[in-house]
Amino acid sequence: MTIASSSPPSRLPLGDAAGAGTDRRTARRAATREERGDGWLAAVFIAPALLGFTVFLLWPTLRGVYLSFTRFNLLTPAEWVGLDNYVRMVHDPIFWDSMGVTVEYVLVNIGVQTVSALAIAVLLQRLTQSAVLRGIVLTPYLMSNVVAGIVWLWILDTQLGIGNEIIAGLGFDRIPFLADETWAVPTIALINVWRHVGYTALLLFAGLMAIPNDMYEAAKVDGASEWRMFRRITMPLLRPVLAVVLIMTVIGSFQVFDTVAVTTAGGPANATNVLQYYIYGAAFGRFQFGYASAMSVALLVVLSAITVLQYRLTRAGQSDLG
Amino acid sequence: MRTAAALTGALLLSLATGCGRGDTAGAGGNTVTYWLWDANQLPAYQACAKDFEKQNPGLKVKITQMGWGDYWTKLTASFIAGTEPDVFTDHIQKFGQFADLKVLEPLDDLGLDDTAYQPGLAANWRGQDGRRYGAPKDWDTVALFYNRKMAKEAGLSADQLNSLDWNPRDGGSFEKAIAHLTVDRNGVRGDEKGFDRHHVKVYGMATGGAGDADGQTTWSPFTASAGWHYTDKARWGTEYRYGDKTFQSVIDWYFGLAEKGYLAPFTDYTDGANPATAQVASGKAATAFDGAWMISSYYGAEGLDVGTAPTPTGPTGKRATMMNGLADSITKNARNKQGARKWVRYLASDECQRTVGRYGIVFPATPDGTAAAVAAYRKKGIDVSAFTEPVTDKKDSTTFSFPITDCAADVYALIRPAMQDVYANGAPVSGLSRTNDQINLILGQ
Amino acid sequence: MAAVADTTTVRRVRRRITPGRALAWAVMAAIVLITLVPFYWILRTALSSNDALAAHPGDLLPVGTTTGGFERALGLQSAEEAIAQGGSGGGLRFWRYLVNSVVVSTLITVCQIFFSAMAAYAFARLRWRGREAVFGLFLAGLMVPAIFTLLPNFVLVKQLGLVDSLLGVALPTMFMTPFAVFFLRQFFMNVPREVEEAALLDGAGKVRIFFRLMLPMASTPLLTLGLLTYITAWNDYFWPLMVSYSDSSRVLTVALAIFRAQTPQTGYDWSGLMAATLIAALPMLVLFGCFARRIVGSISFTGIK
Repeated sequence: MTIASSSPPSRLPLGDAAGAGTDRRTARRAATREERGDGWLAAVFIAPALLGFTVFLLWPTLRGVYLSFTRFNLLTPAEWVGLDNYVRMVHDPIFWDSMGVTVEYVLVNIGVQTVSALAIAVLLQRLTQSAVLRGIVLTPYLMSNVVAGIVWLWILDTQLGIGNEIIAGLGFDRIPFLADETWAVPTIALINVWRHVGYTALLLFAGLMAIPNDMYEAAKVDGASEWRMFRRITMPLLRPVLAVVLIMTVIGSFQVFDTVAVTTAGGPANATNVLQYYIYGAAFGRFQFGYASAMSVALLVVLSAITVLQYRLTRAGQSDLG
Repeated sequence: MRTAAALTGALLLSLATGCGRGDTAGAGGNTVTYWLWDANQLPAYQACAKDFEKQNPGLKVKITQMGWGDYWTKLTASFIAGTEPDVFTDHIQKFGQFADLKVLEPLDDLGLDDTAYQPGLAANWRGQDGRRYGAPKDWDTVALFYNRKMAKEAGLSADQLNSLDWNPRDGGSFEKAIAHLTVDRNGVRGDEKGFDRHHVKVYGMATGGAGDADGQTTWSPFTASAGWHYTDKARWGTEYRYGDKTFQSVIDWYFGLAEKGYLAPFTDYTDGANPATAQVASGKAATAFDGAWMISSYYGAEGLDVGTAPTPTGPTGKRATMMNGLADSITKNARNKQGARKWVRYLASDECQRTVGRYGIVFPATPDGTAAAVAAYRKKGIDVSAFTEPVTDKKDSTTFSFPITDCAADVYALIRPAMQDVYANGAPVSGLSRTNDQINLILGQ
Repeated sequence: MAAVADTTTVRRVRRRITPGRALAWAVMAAIVLITLVPFYWILRTALSSNDALAAHPGDLLPVGTTTGGFERALGLQSAEEAIAQGGSGGGLRFWRYLVNSVVVSTLITVCQIFFSAMAAYAFARLRWRGREAVFGLFLAGLMVPAIFTLLPNFVLVKQLGLVDSLLGVALPTMFMTPFAVFFLRQFFMNVPREVEEAALLDGAGKVRIFFRLMLPMASTPLLTLGLLTYITAWNDYFWPLMVSYSDSSRVLTVALAIFRAQTPQTGYDWSGLMAATLIAALPMLVLFGCFARRIVGSISFTGIK
């Protein structure tokens, strides 16, 4: 949108609805007067939002970067230490482990979630477009991560959970889903899939709705199978939406905290110590706000890089729907 | 309609701001808030508080007791939220962090005399600036608790257990004793042929976890009697020594006991649900190293006939046991500093220490208090010489303290999973060198 | 590209139940089951007693049916009773936390929507210098992951002395989010100018137009946005965790996590924990029940920017 300067005379609110014959100079003066006139009003209207933006978004972003170069324990003034925090971060085995845990989590989470969401969306598009089903699928999303975590903590409990009861009933050994080093991360990833897949599916569903049904009808007449239609019609046309959804979900996935905090607390033995949890521990457990900020900056850089990469790779900006 | 909206808005805002602040800190004024974690000691300190209040009319002491797990998280949270107590029981492991944060009030002008306490206790509570930040409260050492019935069945006499020795090569008479006390489910002992280390019924030694940074009740008696200390200096060292060859060979031997089946595995241990006491009390383990603060728990366990023995002699020719001491600290932002100082002075005085000693739960820091405690234990039929002798016997024993450095919490965060890795997953001890480098990097910054 | 339908030759193809369709329906049924069974399981466990749960973990119906779980969650049991029934005697008071959550969520939603609407109107309909630049700045704010600003925001809230207060919990999101501004601006821009012009001709000032005309017209998107904001605020955990330290400012999500952490020595108080979870989840379920269509429909046009 271009910056609106003077608008065509016919839009002037000053009487003269006939439009024609308005003195041009008067029109321009009136236009600038209107511009300036709105200026005061706009300032008032925008003030609270601008205040909120500056104080709680802009300033913290700058401050976060600043704090990453300091040693700050919250109770005494911050002292500048230059790149110390970053040097420490590079040599910190727990930081890198944490990064690894987070990446493993994201891969499992996004992988399963995207495939499931796509499947659900296509089912909703091609099988039945019932609004009731859409509502049902969305229900877990209404819960907080804490609720989801605790429910599955119970269902997957080694001793008493119904999940393990079924597994034991089938004759297998009980699986300590959240207490075992190899199971813990995938389990948490799947818990979050349960919570988020409905939302992602409905997003993709909206994208699918934009695909004209005629294309499917035509393909059906030509004798195409559902799977063929999916590969040749749905996927290519859904790509831009899928790309945006992927970017959103990956960014969200990297920031996982709630579910880990409430189920495994980073354990067992740091097996689920995702980056955000480690950052939180550094800040509120050890009062190292400077180091925690440095790690937050690292996370920010990683997220930005991934976003740019994803955007390029999936050519999210272009749509084949024309 | 409009007025309703306005009223609702006002109500919301008032709820948001008005009932805002939590009031967990107490009232200032004439109350002194005091936090401690040991429920066993609560009655003793309540008695002290009563005497104190009698001597200081108008002052009240409000004692809050919180379990160890909760205690430190709540305390650090209280510093963040500004609701910290006036006085709290401090621990040498955490002392460094609080000194770092500068949230402790210097106690130099309380008129406390270092020599009034057991040697070495008061000096531990001086910060790097040389000022005193904690008033000594009590002390404890580590010794070996053992199931007397199982020892008799194994043919081990109290004398034998009192004179064990060990070394990192073959474990000495200590490992032999532990092996002999281990029994598998077929009744075969650990040092007999046919011993099935995968199906052990009774472990020779209970597990107390991987030890984290200090190994207080696990490997510290061994590493110390092999001549190793955590840091380059006794106090406020700047370098940790987990990369030291002696240390790593001792750790290798110690956790190797688990592989042999004599030491209970890491998975058997949970801080809350299955500590070493529970393992001994339930008959799953024959012996356990544990601290003096657990004496009443072991002796009070139903159906358990327990004895104590000092830690085994090591390659240096001496026994070693960690001597730790708690202290009381005043917070810098205490609401009632005057009252807090009076209370701390009273806590550190002979009078209160004797009162606490008489309850027979811990060894108070003053010699008189200690004597009162020993007498109280004796009255209950408990011989505590395994804990008290190493402190006085300088010929055959040494004592050492927790490592006292900056950034203790970071050290903990790094060394804890590394030790657990060695114990639980059989990771090579040489990995601890890398951890040590990272620790020293942080300390150096 | 549609094939021309020749009415004489096209046959009406009836939808037969092919194996493919049957499989698809089976998958759909499985999905519905996995989605909904956990909710039933919460209810079933909340109405069971801990002892019976240990004995019959697999029963489909509540076992040892009792309201004990709910009583513990609402702080209606004494410590002895609670411990006897397998609880922790910690006595959390979920009424208080419910109120806190309501206050915080309402405060955030009402203020954020209102301020964002004002800003959106200023961007959409008012003319002023630098309008596009400032809007661009707001949009850039969308790029910063929320989590990056949490620590510095906490430092700020501490310095304002608002730690452990409901206002402190609400403050960072109370004024605006870039998304809300963007969303409402889109709407305002699509409002036909003629309506506004007519009002202006009648002599109404822009302020009046906003309150009397624009806001009522925007009631639908406002409600939609409001619902989404309310749900997000209600389910927030990380920020309230950082800011609240006592009952007075604790919200349901944090309280639930604390309940879970207060496990007694003997093992989890599943009955109480599930009751607390139900109490925490119920308001959102009710909200969803009332506004389901709107919420489901909103995802299509708010989700994709």
